[in-house]
Amino acid sequence: MLWIRRFLLRLQTLVRRHRSAQRLNDEIQFHLEQQIAENIAAGMTREEARHTAMRSFGNPTVLKEETRDTWGWTRLEQIAQDLRFAARMLRKSPGFAAIAVLTLALGIGANTAIFSLIDVVLLRPLPVRDSDRVVLLKWEAHKQPRADGYSSYGFCLSAAFHFHTGEQGAEPEGCSFSRPFFEHLHSQVPVFSQLTAFVGSPDIHLDRNGERTRVSAPLVSGEFFQTMAVRAALGRLLQPSDDLANAPPVAVLDYGYWQTEFGGDRSVVGKTIDLDNIPVTVVGVAEPNFGQLVPGQGWDLWLPLDLFSRMNTHWSSSNDDETQWWLTIIGHLKPGVSLAQAQGAVSLFFRNEMLHGATPLSKEADDPRISLVPVQKGLTGNRWQYEEPFYLLMAAVSIILLIACSNVSGLMLARTASRQREIAVRLALGAGRARVIRQLLTESVLLAVGGAVIGVFFSYWSLAALRSSDWLGSIHDFAVKPDARILFFTVLVSALAGILPALAPALRGTRIDLTPALKENARTLPNTSQRGRRFNLGSALVVAQVMLSMLVLAGAGLLVRTLANLRNINPGFDTRNLLLVELDLKDNEYTPQQAQNLYRELQSRFSSLPGVTNVSYSSDALLSGSLWSGGTALEGRKEEVERNLLSVGPRFFATMRIPLLSGRAFTPDDFGSKHKVAIVNRAFAQRYLEGRSPLGLHLGASKDDPGAEIIGVAGDAKYDDLEKPVEPTEYFPLEKGRVNFELRTAATPEALIPAARSIIHELDSHLPPADFTTQTKQIDGSLFRERLVAHLSSFFGLLALGLACIGLYGLLSYEVTRRTREIGIRSAMGAQQRDVLRLVVGQGIALALAGAIAGLAGALGLTRYLQSLLYGVRPTDPATFVSVAFLLTLVSLAACYIPARRATKVDPMTALRYE
Amino acid sequence: MGKPNDLVQGTLDLLILKTIAPEPKHGWAIAKRIQQISRDVLQVQQGSLYPALHRLEQKAWIKAKWKETETGRQAKFYSLTAAGRAQLEKEAANWSRLSSAINLVVETT
Repeated sequence: MLWIRRFLLRLQTLVRRHRSAQRLNDEIQFHLEQQIAENIAAGMTREEARHTAMRSFGNPTVLKEETRDTWGWTRLEQIAQDLRFAARMLRKSPGFAAIAVLTLALGIGANTAIFSLIDVVLLRPLPVRDSDRVVLLKWEAHKQPRADGYSSYGFCLSAAFHFHTGEQGAEPEGCSFSRPFFEHLHSQVPVFSQLTAFVGSPDIHLDRNGERTRVSAPLVSGEFFQTMAVRAALGRLLQPSDDLANAPPVAVLDYGYWQTEFGGDRSVVGKTIDLDNIPVTVVGVAEPNFGQLVPGQGWDLWLPLDLFSRMNTHWSSSNDDETQWWLTIIGHLKPGVSLAQAQGAVSLFFRNEMLHGATPLSKEADDPRISLVPVQKGLTGNRWQYEEPFYLLMAAVSIILLIACSNVSGLMLARTASRQREIAVRLALGAGRARVIRQLLTESVLLAVGGAVIGVFFSYWSLAALRSSDWLGSIHDFAVKPDARILFFTVLVSALAGILPALAPALRGTRIDLTPALKENARTLPNTSQRGRRFNLGSALVVAQVMLSMLVLAGAGLLVRTLANLRNINPGFDTRNLLLVELDLKDNEYTPQQAQNLYRELQSRFSSLPGVTNVSYSSDALLSGSLWSGGTALEGRKEEVERNLLSVGPRFFATMRIPLLSGRAFTPDDFGSKHKVAIVNRAFAQRYLEGRSPLGLHLGASKDDPGAEIIGVAGDAKYDDLEKPVEPTEYFPLEKGRVNFELRTAATPEALIPAARSIIHELDSHLPPADFTTQTKQIDGSLFRERLVAHLSSFFGLLALGLACIGLYGLLSYEVTRRTREIGIRSAMGAQQRDVLRLVVGQGIALALAGAIAGLAGALGLTRYLQSLLYGVRPTDPATFVSVAFLLTLVSLAACYIPARRATKVDPMTALRYE
Repeated sequence: MGKPNDLVQGTLDLLILKTIAPEPKHGWAIAKRIQQISRDVLQVQQGSLYPALHRLEQKAWIKAKWKETETGRQAKFYSLTAAGRAQLEKEAANWSRLSSAINLVVETT
């Protein structure tokens, strides 16, 4: 009760501060009058009585202040005062305020934007309850167990994964398993309360309102949602009974997808949707925060795993095949079972399956084993691809922030110098140093607050721009919701931006020798002993800015060169003017003969398009990231040979312009023929035949199969990855299934897209929509990481350079103003314009060079941390460093020139009369 | 005013509360009253009187009202609140305990 009354009282004094102060005056006045009256009554004169009363009362101002202190609002009042004063000061120099606010906004905005990306992609936790005990199965072995097919669907790719053993000595590991293994584990190893397997989305299309759209729909086994402990927002989730062989097909919608695609319509539950001609009933919607298992990859709906066999996709026939590894397995540990116990049990089971299963897949010596990894750590998706680039960019924007802060610091320093008289007066009148520092701090905090507001807008815009670009690769499907972490980070960065700039001027500004500061005119002040030191501090700030911007620029230069090097890699085929058309033919809808007919028909119709010079097709486009590989027998060799496989159509080598070194290319007769043929590349011949001719040898022969005869040797061409060296590769005729057409064109390939589309539609209107791209775009897509870091870091590098030059410009301008009289005297004494120019520009260039040299030294030490992101360029590449230094010198010359011009315009008469 | 007349730290509050307990008084009257009753031994430093009054007011132990004096001037009259009365009893009890303790010490040695 009492505290409420006290609070109200305090509030009252705050709200009615002025009235209270007035009342206090009245009270004291009354007291004095009483005392005077008494003194007069005691026989004093009026004048005497007043003096005595005043004397006994003491200093009314101090008394008033002490009394006001008891109201408890002094601090707040002072802050309000400081704020008002700061706002007034900034209003008086809008140019300074605008530059400072914008500079800080750039720093804060860039930091917030990059941190938001890091937050979304790397930090945001998985939407899984009890996530410590929900674990992912990961296999390890000295040698990869036999897998005739393997895919991780991007759930847990890791940098350490090597399908081919022996690469860089890393142990093979992975987290894909076969369906039989999952079923056995499920029924035989009782350490999990729930166990689920799932696979990423195959190519599935939704027919809705006459439109066919591709949807992202992973297939999950019955206990998926129970394992993840996810709740339904609407209807129900999938349950084990949905995953039985004859269960009616059902689907659960993603909350976001439900909102955007179905407008949040609650009646969607129970409705039937058409997925590639399979009618699927929607049974529910998952809770809103269960969105992405893997960063940046949103899903539209979930389907029961068993539906897979009915969808005729790539793995459809893999259900009972233990050599096909395609399922990701996650389990929720049973209560009371420790991670170590479970791991031991599962590992033993895995080892047993590998060594003694129906088909032994691994050897004792390879020590196949399982480790259980918490899902948060295990389901990295392609997060590892982003870690380095993002942290690198974070470092770049941190440097930007530092430059921005020291830039504003420099500007404030110049201002405090011209405000020294004001500060000296305030100190002389009894203001504490702390109070003066607080005043300066308030100003810079005010600037930072403005910077933060604009900066948040900056970051919002830049993220939107980034998302609509293709620099982020597969991570485009993300919403940057400002969560607590982003908010905290922004506040932290803004606080830094508010405090750092004020430090130098505050310390400098309050360390004033009062007497000369008050006695002398502000203009002559620099001639006092202060001069040398201030000059050094301002210059030091500029040198630091130049140095920091050099660091960012040098890094950016190396990354830009890396991108150029990658683009200049010769892939072994002609990438220009090549249109790629991807068609996902379902195996079940076409017999091999029908598929052949369709391919031929499309090939001939595409060929007749004006501007098309050659057409072929293959199972996968080159440099798309897809790779098919495996071991096979080679005639005359005891061990199996490892090679990549690509099935292609007629005229493939001519269309791609891959030279045929010996033998012949495929002819139409080779397709569907009993006599199987193959073409190998030069790397194959060199690795396995030591240069002997492979022509006539057979590949993949077994007891009752002669295998394929090698009929030709093709030149080396990159398959899945531009950076990887060319591996032994076998080409063979494409019979059926998914196909990718390559159209060699005379002019821009994009122009042919509408015509190609209508050809497909005319031929068969039931074909799923084709994907069109060009080979150059395809390559760009595979280089998204390199493009992301190269583009963003050069943007940040130029930003850093710009900021540093603004700092340089500001310092020189200030110096010129300060030295107007000196320059006037010099001119009066006969100095030429040239001399004046040299004076100013010389000072600027000296600073820039000092910064550049320091920056280069720093860059030499730091760029080696970029090593893993570089290609074909050493971290200390002299050409890059020299050109970056050259750029810096040029730009800083421009920054020096403007103030130097102004200095030459100084009229000696005016300058001297000014005194 | 020499040292001996300085009020013991913290006793000013007690004196103020005690002085205005019978009837509301304004600042000057409070100072006068303390001086009178103590036979000029205790001189309230005016410099500390008003801060003290305002502090007590903020603690809601006393409340103030602007009223006319006998001479027709407006003055701020302070009076005890219920909480202030309780505080007065507490501080008075404290004081007598403290002073008798000090007496004991002073007289036995």
